[in-house]
Amino acid sequence: MARSSRPDPEASLKRWWVRPLVRTVAALALPVAVPLLLTLLLWALPGDPASIVCPPENCTGTEALAERWNLHRGPMHFFSAWMSNAAGGELGNSWRMQAGVPVSDLVKESIPNTLALIGLAFIPILLGTVLAALDAIHRRLDPILHLMGLFPAVILAVIAAAWKVLTYTEFGGETAALFLGAAVLGIADGAFSGAVTGTRSVSSAERRQRYTGVGVLRGETELSNILPNITPALVGQLRARILHLFSGAVVVEVVLKIDGLGDLLWQAALVQDFGVVLPVATVFACFSAILLLAQALAEGGVAVWIRWSPKGVMERAA
Amino acid sequence: MTGRWPAIGVSAVLFAALIVLAVIAPEFLSEANLDLKEFGPAAVPPFGADDRGRPLWELAAQGARVVALPSVVAGLVVGLFAAAGGLIRSMDLRWADSAVAAFGEVVGALPRMVVILIVALLLPRDWRGLFPLAATWALLSAPGAMDEAAAVAERLGGARFVEALRAHGYSSWRIFVVHVVAFNLRPVIVRQAAEVTMQVVFLEISLSYLATSNDDPSFTHPDSVRSWADILHLGYRALAFDAPYMHALVLGLGLVALVAGTTIGISRAARAR
Repeated sequence: MARSSRPDPEASLKRWWVRPLVRTVAALALPVAVPLLLTLLLWALPGDPASIVCPPENCTGTEALAERWNLHRGPMHFFSAWMSNAAGGELGNSWRMQAGVPVSDLVKESIPNTLALIGLAFIPILLGTVLAALDAIHRRLDPILHLMGLFPAVILAVIAAAWKVLTYTEFGGETAALFLGAAVLGIADGAFSGAVTGTRSVSSAERRQRYTGVGVLRGETELSNILPNITPALVGQLRARILHLFSGAVVVEVVLKIDGLGDLLWQAALVQDFGVVLPVATVFACFSAILLLAQALAEGGVAVWIRWSPKGVMERAA
Repeated sequence: MTGRWPAIGVSAVLFAALIVLAVIAPEFLSEANLDLKEFGPAAVPPFGADDRGRPLWELAAQGARVVALPSVVAGLVVGLFAAAGGLIRSMDLRWADSAVAAFGEVVGALPRMVVILIVALLLPRDWRGLFPLAATWALLSAPGAMDEAAAVAERLGGARFVEALRAHGYSSWRIFVVHVVAFNLRPVIVRQAAEVTMQVVFLEISLSYLATSNDDPSFTHPDSVRSWADILHLGYRALAFDAPYMHALVLGLGLVALVAGTTIGISRAARAR
């Protein structure tokens, strides 16, 4: 006899803190886990790490390089040394891309551009989410939204790059690239259409629930009834969309020549500069950790909010 | 059955076009013809020529060969993962369900392109190609596909649906493979597989375009082979610098539309009942 596939509602009500707690733990572990995993992967591959980073046909004196890059005493020594430096804000130097240049300087120059790009691209997505939650976007527009979402970031970025070249004198370079990049990111790969359809599917399912109808009969609004229940799902969707924007930012930054973290990662990956890739990946992990923490806070906050209301009702009933 | 057969027909034709292109792709491009003055389809049929006078169909065919097998394999892998996700929920294997959810959280924690670039960096030069990157992309996409298939299985009734079919005396094969996977999970499995196939093609175009635009070697194919990104880069030069390669832009966008059309067609064919 198979067990019921439905979770016990009472148990899940009592264990509301499990998901936020797991996310918090994951958020705290991520900035350490990512560089550790990368270090272990480098050592797990066939051949010694220095030869992988700089093959003998390109670099001479592999042993000296291994010593210079601190690769000669094994993965745990490399990782612990790198982490202790990183904790103090010292991310090491570039190995090959701009040999000897402090990576923290490169990262500091890149972060504002990437954050501006992601922030601008997030505006239409947030707008789409809010409008869809309010049921303000008509379903007749769905085919147009789906069509827009089919375009991959690289195609729209290429068109944007051409437009940037053609209108360089009128609109200026960097600012135009930033706005164009944000528009591309906000539309491409189903970013905007996914935000609208994803939010609408969550909110419309909740609108059909009986409690919503009862709330409306009591004179309350639909939104005030469904909001506590849809917020965790919407926050989860928004986190996934921001991560998606970070992913697309790599393409957009390279094509539109925006000096951001994605461009830095791409340039470093091309020349196999592990000294840059490791800190940049860790910075991305830190951003992801912040998003995870925000999701945990939102989930926890909503759970507490929901649990407060019935308490008041119970007290009034008593 | 409204719309099913047209969707099957269109997607089959488009997919066949992609496979034929991949099969007939020449191993090496024709010799450069630097004396060529006209590059359009009228001068070099059927699609025109690139900036070195080589027929564009050869670039298109080589690009199709680069993407065809890895993208289809990645799609199939994700389809299998999605089927597994649905079956796990139907069988009510809670420990496996929790493991999939935990795996999804870990895998989904980093932007996909960042993971792809890290894999590209760590791969030894001899292993470079689209296959390992496509496999990584499939692995990154798997938890989402499994989650969606599990949600469909849950809406179906999960373990209670299976129990009901057992009560009818159906065999395990008929319950899980025929009823759960083929009849009920098919639309989501096929759509996820088709979407990942398309995403891997777009991933190849993106990675190759980024390399081409900086005159760097691609992570996805040897230097002797051209990809669809080279065609699109010619198109970019037509747009930005008025170079005589507008036919390349049309062909590049056409190839992207071919892949997107195949995905839409396959998804619709699987959805229509």
